[in-house]
Amino acid sequence: MGPLIPNGVIPYEWNNIIAIIIGIVFGFVLEASGFSSSRKLAGVFYGYDFAVLKVFFTAALVSLIGILYMDYLGYINMEQLYVHPTYLWGAIIGGVIMGVGFVSAGFCPGTSLCAVAIGKIDAIVYVIGIMVGIFIFSELYTVFQPLYEGYFYGNITLMDSFGINRYWFVFVFTIIAILAFVISDLIRKRRKKIFY
Amino acid sequence: MVNRKVAKVLTFRYKILAGIFLLLAAGLVLLPKYEKHEGIKPEELLSNAISPERYISTDELANKIINQDPSFIMIDVRNENEFNKYSIPNSINIPLKKLLDEDAIGYLNQNQYDVIFISNDHFYADQAWVLCNRLDYKNLRVLKGGINNWYLTIINPTKPTENMPAEDFELYSFRKSASMFFGVVYPEQLKIEKKPEVKKVTPKKVIPIKKKKKMPVEGGC
Repeated sequence: MGPLIPNGVIPYEWNNIIAIIIGIVFGFVLEASGFSSSRKLAGVFYGYDFAVLKVFFTAALVSLIGILYMDYLGYINMEQLYVHPTYLWGAIIGGVIMGVGFVSAGFCPGTSLCAVAIGKIDAIVYVIGIMVGIFIFSELYTVFQPLYEGYFYGNITLMDSFGINRYWFVFVFTIIAILAFVISDLIRKRRKKIFY
Repeated sequence: MVNRKVAKVLTFRYKILAGIFLLLAAGLVLLPKYEKHEGIKPEELLSNAISPERYISTDELANKIINQDPSFIMIDVRNENEFNKYSIPNSINIPLKKLLDEDAIGYLNQNQYDVIFISNDHFYADQAWVLCNRLDYKNLRVLKGGINNWYLTIINPTKPTENMPAEDFELYSFRKSASMFFGVVYPEQLKIEKKPEVKKVTPKKVIPIKKKKKMPVEGGC
């Protein structure tokens, strides 16, 4: 049956409309749960607020477990889902740059737009920074191209590269997540409370 | 005011949620596994199998080739020897045993062209058709009768006898011209070719020379 659009359950033309609706809801929830505050986001790195870690780890787990159950019950065909292609070193270096930006500015690209929407000046500066970065990257694309397109491993998943049973992987991953939540809570309790 | 009992339970809410997570994840591990049916469903395969689109006749194929229809590729599933002996022009040789090789996927698994399978009869081509259909490749067709029928109908068409209907004669003339396209030379074609070689003998103008009639001797000067 699923995925709905590729299998024609929902007409293809609805693709963008649904994306916009999901985007609006996502932005609303981000803002409503305080993710448009750079102090809250940066809290992960300073150890006074682990909401980001918890939220995104939980989101990954919910979708992972949910999709596996739906695949098992035949509601969705996992073979048809999009798997993001892996460009190993491009991903590593890009991840480091993104991480540094995350610590120093307190936003990730999604939440920064969310914060721009409610008029935060630091977020506006951050988005201008993103644009400058994009501009530099585009201008120097020929320099970065071998890195950007190199080390291509195809559309692989962790299950493919480690060759483990996906159900066991999810189980282990869940335990890791819960451990991470517990440990992060312990760290937070040791820190002095910060009001922001 | 929240009920005190509820409030007491709610202090454990994160532990409860973590427990639910673990349960669900463990459930995935413990669920009985079953072999998943890969490829298209049997019903779909059946509807493809009985579809009139499945076969293409030799006449249609010849027509497409002659009109330089760009919308199809021909996959010859016979082995290399047979392919080298005779093949339909522009067909691609992928022997049946190499059908699932990686090199072949590019030709078979695409939405751009119709794929026409060819073998001696359509037996092996049909098997290739079923295999590729199961893999959910699109636009697959089989040459009805294969190379044998191709030879019988296009390369060496039988001449209709005089008591056959007019359509047969039309079909024959199409097939004959098609075979000429594929390089068959007919004896009468040779004759036609010979004709221009024959020099037109310009008939010599015969100018009749009038003999002077001998004047009858007239007597007397």
